[in-house]
Amino acid sequence: MTRLQQVLFKLDGQYLGHPYFVTGNALFNAIARRVDEQVARALNVSHGVFLPGEYGEYPLAASQDGYAGKLGQSLPEVEAYEDLFVFRDPAHRWLLDSRPRDAHNTHPLQVHGDRVAFDSTCWFGRPKKMRDHRRSVSWYLHCYVHAQPGDDDVLPVSTDVLNGVQVGGARNYEFGKLSVAETQVVDVEALDFSRLEAAQRSDESCWIELVTPFVLETEHPCGDAQSIPWWWGVDKSELRCRETRFVDGDETYAVTTVDHGQLVPYTGPNPVRTAVNGVYRVGTHSRFGFGELRVWPPGADRVPERVVDREGDAA
Amino acid sequence: MSDVSVSSDSVKSDVEPMVAVYRHDVHKARSRSHEHAEHELHGVRVNEPVPHGADADAALLSRPRGEPEQTVDAHESWYRLSLLTGQVVSTTEAVDDVNAALRELVECEDAETLHAAWVESSVPALFSESPYYPYTSLKFHTLLAAALLDNYRSGFEFDELFLAVTPRDAAREIVPHQTVLATPGFALHVTGEPDGRPAAQLGDVPARSFADTWARLPELPFDVDASRLWRVLDAQLRRVRSWSVALQYVEEFVAAFEPESNSQRRRGAAESRGGRRE
Repeated sequence: MTRLQQVLFKLDGQYLGHPYFVTGNALFNAIARRVDEQVARALNVSHGVFLPGEYGEYPLAASQDGYAGKLGQSLPEVEAYEDLFVFRDPAHRWLLDSRPRDAHNTHPLQVHGDRVAFDSTCWFGRPKKMRDHRRSVSWYLHCYVHAQPGDDDVLPVSTDVLNGVQVGGARNYEFGKLSVAETQVVDVEALDFSRLEAAQRSDESCWIELVTPFVLETEHPCGDAQSIPWWWGVDKSELRCRETRFVDGDETYAVTTVDHGQLVPYTGPNPVRTAVNGVYRVGTHSRFGFGELRVWPPGADRVPERVVDREGDAA
Repeated sequence: MSDVSVSSDSVKSDVEPMVAVYRHDVHKARSRSHEHAEHELHGVRVNEPVPHGADADAALLSRPRGEPEQTVDAHESWYRLSLLTGQVVSTTEAVDDVNAALRELVECEDAETLHAAWVESSVPALFSESPYYPYTSLKFHTLLAAALLDNYRSGFEFDELFLAVTPRDAAREIVPHQTVLATPGFALHVTGEPDGRPAAQLGDVPARSFADTWARLPELPFDVDASRLWRVLDAQLRRVRSWSVALQYVEEFVAAFEPESNSQRRRGAAESRGGRRE
């Protein structure tokens, strides 16, 4: 009932699509044409988040700690709620300080006429003549799929189906080609939620990070307008909203969203329940990746140095 | 931040601190470390400490705490590596005489004139904050240090500061010392008084948090819905943690692609740009 299948793709060609992420809608359409109708109806697909395959160490909150080798090229084990998000933050704070982390984590750009594409590999090296001293960083894409309640037997989607899907523009020119690096099935209800359980017992309030945009208004016939959820401690004027396009077959629909990356105070009573719902996403269009949330317990911080520093001050 | 401010307060200096902050690190543009730097350039005192720990705090915005390690193989140099092109910047944007070009960045005794000169100059952007972190930018480190110092002198603590942006469609505004980046279309400021401008807090303590702060801005200074180039820039800025690296990236990206003139980008300017990084 509560399983999800994490999929790590390797980007095999250049990519010319949505620059923030590959939308769940694009991934859904790429996968749906390779499965039968019943499976397609059951599938819910998350947004795909880009990440570099590079040396890293586990984030502070993760269930494992320390040096992790090349972290972006395979899926870390998922034991705690926090492990679900190791690859879901575009800042990829797990990259090592001892290497040029910002250079590893910005997309290498390629210019085609007047269009800017992301390259699948970035080369680092000495001057060109010293060819043996070059090294490369390849790009990966992390997403997950789950099924509608009752249709759980469609998981896991087989690697054969997922291998070779294409996303973004210029697909006839081999752009946006993906191959499966790894997949794993996770039982969400069985995860360790102890940090959020502790927060639930304390008086301090949690924070919500909008991992993907939350849909407010849509022209799409399947969706209705939504207001900001009552358990967000903000009103709409405090949030950055934006208009985007949702493609369905030959039609595109205007969609107004609360932009991702923002933090809002959590004012609801049950952070654990909200956390689980946030993994499966909330709001209309949640099937296509919108409305993914992460709940942060009080005292935690997205920027690891701030937490280390606070502990250092206390000592 | 306390130990730096204590030691600097005891240093005798007759230079106004807001002037000294623009001169404190020019030794880096002459490829010298703090210890081996000369104390005078063009007849003015340089290499002086910055009060209130503003220099140390600005450094923490862009580099990790602790002993530096070389992060890029075979690049032990003060010349900056471009995050946009991967190339050493000095080879693509040569300046004939760096020493002469530094004159307008240190010589004047008026702090506001110095700030304006640093905001406009491309010379300090040829150099990094440290040979160990070659993607960082001396130009934006200095502007960040000046902005922090100016705010500290007005009585603000670090956790009361914001990254503020010129609201979209408003005239670009330069605030002396607090404007840390000015492109033809917009400006970014570090300030304790956002004055109604869209702003996001920097956090409790100085840390490499640019991506975090940027993603929380209530309004972006450019229209991401109007041009895919702006969206690409926005997406990249949500990835970069170092402040001076990020600000330098904005400056280079805007100059290379001119996203303001919509998708009619100046052709040829970026044709040779590739994913290769030195």
